[in-house]
Amino acid sequence: MLAAVVLAHPSPDAYCRVLARRAVTGLRAAGHDVELLDLSASGFVTAMSSTERAAYHGDQPIVDPQVAHHADIVRRADALVFVYPTWWSGLPAVLKGWLDRVMVPGVAFVFDDAGKVRPGLGQVRHIIGISTYGSPRSYVRVVNDNGRRILTRAVRLSCGVRARPRWLGLYSIDTSSVGDRDDFAARVEREMAALR
Amino acid sequence: MTRALVVHCHPLDDSLVAAARNRVLAGLDSGGAEVRHTDLYAIGFEPDFTAEDHANHLVAGADPSLANHVADLQWCDMLVLVYPTWWSGQPAMLKGWIDRVWVKGVAWDLPEGANRLRPLLSNVRRIVVVTTHGSSKLVNALEGESGKRTVTRSLRTMCHPFTRTNWLAMYGVDTAPAERRTAFLDRVERRLARLA
Repeated sequence: MLAAVVLAHPSPDAYCRVLARRAVTGLRAAGHDVELLDLSASGFVTAMSSTERAAYHGDQPIVDPQVAHHADIVRRADALVFVYPTWWSGLPAVLKGWLDRVMVPGVAFVFDDAGKVRPGLGQVRHIIGISTYGSPRSYVRVVNDNGRRILTRAVRLSCGVRARPRWLGLYSIDTSSVGDRDDFAARVEREMAALR
Repeated sequence: MTRALVVHCHPLDDSLVAAARNRVLAGLDSGGAEVRHTDLYAIGFEPDFTAEDHANHLVAGADPSLANHVADLQWCDMLVLVYPTWWSGQPAMLKGWIDRVWVKGVAWDLPEGANRLRPLLSNVRRIVVVTTHGSSKLVNALEGESGKRTVTRSLRTMCHPFTRTNWLAMYGVDTAPAERRTAFLDRVERRLARLA
């Protein structure tokens, strides 16, 4: 199984980076192939350009070689794993930009003759979110976890009916202890190692 | 007099969203509002929340290069967001504007020891969203309307307690005939003239 791990955090010493590493360790221990896409470290461009927008509904919606590389991995992936900090109850801009630019027609979905969207990611069996939250879980519930919704509902609609979403969240991170963070990182590795 | 800040986010000048922005400005003008207008793509807004932004995220104040954006946000009593809904949320460019401008000391404060944010944008009394959705209202409902929730819950929470929100959306743009677009644009101008 091929797992694409998409990491979206700008800081070299971020806790999310630790989580991504532990996820990769777990997935490899389970015998899976892993492609780690570190968006900030690889200089991934956040906003869709005017050239890309103009090409969106044409035959070649992808114009950037890095986007083409990521799209190629997504087309082959059996698992999509997203590791990011939740900001404003949603995805960091660079991860939203990754969806906007990589998950384009011909990759994530196709338009049928009537102009309606049809799923394109039938091979994806797992959608996994690993996220940290400044707010406590109860508050996240009230304002809604929009990042989670986008990944487990909007993106999932582009996957096959077999796709299972799974969510691992560390809440109230600003008041969490080192022990809490270590426990959560260990849980991430354990759950990824158990993925089949 | 109403002070309206219009934030427009679309890479193409000949798009339906850009046309809606023009009608927003026309409506506000005929209603007698004082208007400031930010076109994120036209000014080349840098949407990435950087490692440096992250290192300073608990220090009050935005990056000094964003001072104009902060001043506009603190000046307005009506915020008008004009954007296309992509992957059921705001485009990465607009999410980046939120991540980088709505920071501690501008949109919220976190007093020592508290784990709930305190709102700071009590000048904002109304948020208007003008947006287009490629797919139908039903598909958007299944996807969870994350963009709508980001505005009506997350952003609104940092504004005045009685802040009203208005949602002016066109669904099914990908398959819509020209007269529906015209009707949408007319509705946008009428509503904004009334709200001004």
